[in-house]
Amino acid sequence: MSSSTLSEGRKQFIVDGVTQDCRADGRRCIDFRRFQIETGIVSNTNGSARLRQYGTDVLVGIKAEIGQPKQERSNTGHLEFYVDCSSYNTTEIDGHIGDFTTQLTKSLERIYDSENVLDLKSLTIIAGEQVWVLYIDAVVLECCGNLLDCISIAVKAALYNTRIPGVSVNDEEGVLELEISDDPNDEKKLSIDKVPVIVSCNKIGHRYVVDATQEEECCSSGRLLIAVNDRNNICSLQKSGTGSLDPSTIFEMIETARQAAVPLNQELLQTLKREERSNNDKCGFFAN
Amino acid sequence: MEIISPEGLRIDGRRPEEIRRFNCRLGVLSRADGSAYLEQGNTKALASINGPHQAGDKAKIKHDRVHINFQYSMATFSTNERRNRPKGDKRSIDISQLMREIFQSAILTDLYPKSQIDIHVQILQADGGNYSACINAATLALMDAGVPMKDFICSCTASLVDSKTIIDVNNSEELHFSNPLLTLAILPTSEEIILCQMKSRLHADHLEDILKAGIKGCKDIYEIMHREVLNHVREAAAVMNAT
Amino acid sequence: MAAEVGNPVIPGQRLGSIDQFSAGLGTYVRQRHIYASLVGYKDIISQAGQLPKIQIKTGNVSCNLPTIGKVVTAKVLNVNPRFCRVLIICIGTTPLKEPFKGTIRKEDIRATEKDKVDMYNCFKPGDAVLAEVISLGDPRSYYLSTAKNELGVIFAKSTAGHPMVPISWTEMQCPHTEKIELRKVAGIKYWTDS
Repeated sequence: MSSSTLSEGRKQFIVDGVTQDCRADGRRCIDFRRFQIETGIVSNTNGSARLRQYGTDVLVGIKAEIGQPKQERSNTGHLEFYVDCSSYNTTEIDGHIGDFTTQLTKSLERIYDSENVLDLKSLTIIAGEQVWVLYIDAVVLECCGNLLDCISIAVKAALYNTRIPGVSVNDEEGVLELEISDDPNDEKKLSIDKVPVIVSCNKIGHRYVVDATQEEECCSSGRLLIAVNDRNNICSLQKSGTGSLDPSTIFEMIETARQAAVPLNQELLQTLKREERSNNDKCGFFAN
Repeated sequence: MEIISPEGLRIDGRRPEEIRRFNCRLGVLSRADGSAYLEQGNTKALASINGPHQAGDKAKIKHDRVHINFQYSMATFSTNERRNRPKGDKRSIDISQLMREIFQSAILTDLYPKSQIDIHVQILQADGGNYSACINAATLALMDAGVPMKDFICSCTASLVDSKTIIDVNNSEELHFSNPLLTLAILPTSEEIILCQMKSRLHADHLEDILKAGIKGCKDIYEIMHREVLNHVREAAAVMNAT
Repeated sequence: MAAEVGNPVIPGQRLGSIDQFSAGLGTYVRQRHIYASLVGYKDIISQAGQLPKIQIKTGNVSCNLPTIGKVVTAKVLNVNPRFCRVLIICIGTTPLKEPFKGTIRKEDIRATEKDKVDMYNCFKPGDAVLAEVISLGDPRSYYLSTAKNELGVIFAKSTAGHPMVPISWTEMQCPHTEKIELRKVAGIKYWTDS
């Protein structure tokens, strides 16, 4: 909801609550909301994942296609992102919805499309000519705050679930032919050791919170996006929002984000491994 | 490749008059006024309803009935080849217009003058019968939202192969351009046809057969949809009584 | 809550004939029969001197729109010598997800001495008012009226920024500065569920 529809009384209530480390839903400032994650629910993609929280539902699908490499990085594959917010209630976003989704798309590209995150060199088929391009598409079905964090967690889960088919290159009379194998045992998994998740810290009053709801985002004066990976390294930083932040606050926010990201990354990895082992029938949208 | 094998089975093992496995669920999204998810075989559709609420565009406000804003989009990963634009292309606009007219005739529009109902259907996986899945999902979502309607709208596809009719056509069967493809939507209680769209050539003698097959397919789907809606209401009532 | 007996009904299901029943909320009439238009439970209400009414009981309240006669809570956006624009935020006791636009014209503010009304002494931007919907209005907004004793301003802040206390039907006083400001004040009746 836009900040103008939240009443002054409600804003004051939220700010006072945060000051006393008790948010409107009872969490502490560094607690994440519980969420459910399920992978492999769209069958004609190479990898997919769905993240569900109360009020937030994000579906990420990854398709791998053979294409031309980017000009400046001709020896590696690359990622292309697209965020689709069409079913999200458009009157709730301040400004034009196209700008909002472009901003999300560009933030994700900046953070994930890099050699330090995924082993993009392994996606090369013929150096300089043909590479695997991973098209990562996120569909936002509904949103209750903290959208970029949820998309990043779903993207990490979808990358874990992605299987890239094996390709053999045949040289016939000087013409290189690519043959994609249908053998499921010939598929490659991607390593997600260095893939980060985004933790956003919102400054509300004099304190900051992690995993803000939509109402809390309306009261926040400044936001810092921090991408943290499994080894607790910072992969990316971005400040957004209209308020200004003191340098000491930024260091504190980074420490808080790193503390909050450790259990998040661990539990996510455990859940993904458990799901892979159990091989249950996928519930998808039929789960309660 | 034959569509119907000599034993009388189709590519996916169904008989010609069998519909695909149909599963649906109401109330899947927590913040939309109404929502529904359905799977017709491998085609997956998710519909969400918002409204009735103040109409955003003043030019579209009608003084005596509600304005229906329908948006149809296919996720970029829904088809085998990745699509570049989920919506806004001519096909999506054409289908949105068609759906708006269909739902205008089934929703009791004069109860909400000057307002707007937003219907958004997203196809998550497309394997034939996309328009049918879209109509069925939107109907269930409208039921979930409590928007008054004359009746359910049930939709199914039918085709004619070697003088035999088949219903609920999937993607590989649709790709045979020489066979006619009929998309039909009916109001099941009165058996009135609300959408009838056909592609390719059909001899007039076969029209009655293919229509009858389509209507039977729609009625089979109606059985499952109405059973699911009644279950949903009973569960909701049980929860309300328990609290 | 009373236990729900019987089976639920779905749209398109026939409920009865118009010779024996009259159509209520959630139903429609076609060819002398009454059909359901909502998903819910059938409820038959007997009426004195008339045919019993069939209506559908449903738990859903999403279809809540301002209709003529309903009392709504609105926030004043701007004031003008001829009318003031408001944002309807609640209908009855149900808050709305999205607000509607409304207008209160000068002649609909009071029941008596309608031509001697000065808009700036009745409402100011930011006030919360209780009003009744009198017409669906024009494409831009609904028309509302506060021409009853129990309608009018229910909450207002003084120029100093403090919530004011009503002292008569035309005056409110700020508790901190003790300055009196003019408003068309509502005489609040005890709220019963309408």
